[in-house]
Amino acid sequence: MEQTPGEQPIDLAFGFLTAVDSPSHGLFGGYLLVDPAGRPLEFHCTAPVKVSRAQQILYGATLQSHLHGRQIGATLLAEGTVAPELVLTDFEPMLHVRSHTSLPVALVTRADAAVAPNAEASSFAIGSVSVSPHAQDAGLGEALRQKLESLVASVDLAEPFERIRAAIEEAQRH
Amino acid sequence: MDSHAGSVRSWRRGDLLFASGGALARLDPRLAAPAALRLPIDVPTPSVTRIEIFDRPPAVNSFQFARSVEPAVRPPRVVRPRPVEPPCEEPAPATDPAAPKRTRIAPPRDVVKLSERFFFLLQPDLEAILETSSLAFPRQPFPFQLDGMAFLVPRHGAVLADEMGLGKSMQAISSLRLLIRSGEARRVLVVCPKGLVSNWTRELADWAPELLVAVIEGDPQRRRWQWSLEDVPVKVANYEAVVRDRDLVAELGLEFDLVVLDEAQRIKNRTSNTSEAVRALRRKRSWALTGTPVENRAEDLVSLFEFVAPGHLNDRMSPRALGAAAADHVLRRTKDKVLKDMPPRMNRDERIELSPEQRETYRRAEEEGVLRLSALGQEATIQNVFELVLRLKQICNFDTATGESAKLDCLEAELEEIQASGKKSLVFSQWVETLGRLKTRLARFGALEYHGGMSTAARDEAIRRFKHDKQHNVLLLSYGAGAVGLNLQFSQYVFLFDRWWNPAIEDQAINRAHRIGAAGAVTVTRYLSADTIEERIDEVLRKKRDLSDTILSQAEAPASSGLTTEDLFALFKLAPPIRAAA
Repeated sequence: MEQTPGEQPIDLAFGFLTAVDSPSHGLFGGYLLVDPAGRPLEFHCTAPVKVSRAQQILYGATLQSHLHGRQIGATLLAEGTVAPELVLTDFEPMLHVRSHTSLPVALVTRADAAVAPNAEASSFAIGSVSVSPHAQDAGLGEALRQKLESLVASVDLAEPFERIRAAIEEAQRH
Repeated sequence: MDSHAGSVRSWRRGDLLFASGGALARLDPRLAAPAALRLPIDVPTPSVTRIEIFDRPPAVNSFQFARSVEPAVRPPRVVRPRPVEPPCEEPAPATDPAAPKRTRIAPPRDVVKLSERFFFLLQPDLEAILETSSLAFPRQPFPFQLDGMAFLVPRHGAVLADEMGLGKSMQAISSLRLLIRSGEARRVLVVCPKGLVSNWTRELADWAPELLVAVIEGDPQRRRWQWSLEDVPVKVANYEAVVRDRDLVAELGLEFDLVVLDEAQRIKNRTSNTSEAVRALRRKRSWALTGTPVENRAEDLVSLFEFVAPGHLNDRMSPRALGAAAADHVLRRTKDKVLKDMPPRMNRDERIELSPEQRETYRRAEEEGVLRLSALGQEATIQNVFELVLRLKQICNFDTATGESAKLDCLEAELEEIQASGKKSLVFSQWVETLGRLKTRLARFGALEYHGGMSTAARDEAIRRFKHDKQHNVLLLSYGAGAVGLNLQFSQYVFLFDRWWNPAIEDQAINRAHRIGAAGAVTVTRYLSADTIEERIDEVLRKKRDLSDTILSQAEAPASSGLTTEDLFALFKLAPPIRAAA
């Protein structure tokens, strides 16, 4: 489709990554890429992953990083055809995905919520949320904040996660 | 961790497995065994339990969405001059900044494909879309109007059946604007009654100023040119033009992305030319706007759906089944539900005793009429009954012998009081002739007429003077011309001098004044001549009102569903002829 003068540049995108735990199905991962106006560009969701008791025992403390970071997070990010400016998650274990991607990753919490236990000094408030970059991206705080400004003008940063959850619920019904 | 999978695959009997921190390790028992330990040569093979680890990533479903097309810079729109009247002031909707409303565009039930359902579910809320689309509104829409847009936008077949005065046209315009903005619609046709064309062009100019609009009118050559305009996204045509140009539209091969029918109850008669011409329009989306989706009979809704979603409903369905089947396609809100802060509407049914002379004229006419009907016996037709009803109703308005009118005496007294308070009144009648007589008697109130016998220019001028000139405090309207489309919310009194056949039309008339922007309480006075045909009709009308409620709320069906042949004959305690009843 030919681009008209009013269109936004096509290469700017933001990623939203989260997981939804369904008691009956297991853990679903969802990854939404949006443009600066908050409109969806791509959506990827995993089939449910069910963790057995034995797996919990075998993986022990590494379960979270493996399950969310590698199995779900890295798998979803690999499916994206657009490289986002950064990946936001509202689910702290998802931060482990940073070990498997070169993209900056940050945790979004409601501004009025308790500060995440491992929140870094690089955390910043923007709109109605606080954004805490992964420790590996601690030096990028200001740059990330600037990148997010255009998006925050359009959407509340906590809101796209609601869309992902609604879509995953829909997928379960379908 | 990939190495784990490899480890598991290369397990051998006798291996020792260690699970620690999620890492799975294999040790050769020969190396791990303490030196002093002597293993028996015939040690039995240990049993091994295989435990699945996450050796492969989960399957992923991926969906990609087309980017929305932002609009090109458009030339200034001037196809028809805008009316000079300023838009009516409307109150700003009450909003609670602490709890910002988010209006989601939910996928309709008939959208089945998961990717299409995701398309809607993953959109930002409507408030965010509007903010980022640079779609300015002349007034902040009410939350329920945003709900209406969220209802219309994703639907290919929709009936917006809001009560009159809640801004159906504004909701439709804002929705079609979003579709045009997103590239989902390029050719939109709005079909409305002739008298509302200027209303639509005015509303389009208000709510979608960037859109070019062409009005289909004039001689055949001009209309052909207008229909053919490629670069005008919105065309407005009246119903008569659609009927007249049916062959032309087909010849030009026109297909519309969206056809919006205003006052869509116009197509309730499925076999009418209007209904057939409208249904013949090639289109992708069909939206119907009407405050009265069910005017007389349940079949009205079925007829409407022949345009909106052909085949979805049928005449054999019970009212409850109709309601259920139509539910996802119909959105109806009433003022009392969505506009808690709207000024109240006060209804007064004023029972008026005819003057002795009027009573005598009435009695004679009724007796003679009933005698004639009885004499006709099986030859009596519904037309005979209808003529008698009309004659009696006219006598209730004015005594044909003396010109006396108990109703007018009463109206005059009430208008005097209203005049003193500086308020404005609307008076509705079924007959243009009645309006003329009222105008003469009410000249001191500066009464103006508005009816179908006047030219469009004369009607517009009457509205302008009524709105802006303090000398004119009474507007006399016919139900036919004045019940739809007019915004007269600065009027605080409505009089129904006589009653229409259908309560929905009366509601439309009343809602010219009782609508968004009403400055204060609206008082509605319905005159009923005591012990006359008017009271008997009123009883039937009350039952008809129940039918609409039944279908729209999926409640039980009422005993009666309209002014049937039986009803009409029963007005005079007569049984209908056998063939008429059949």
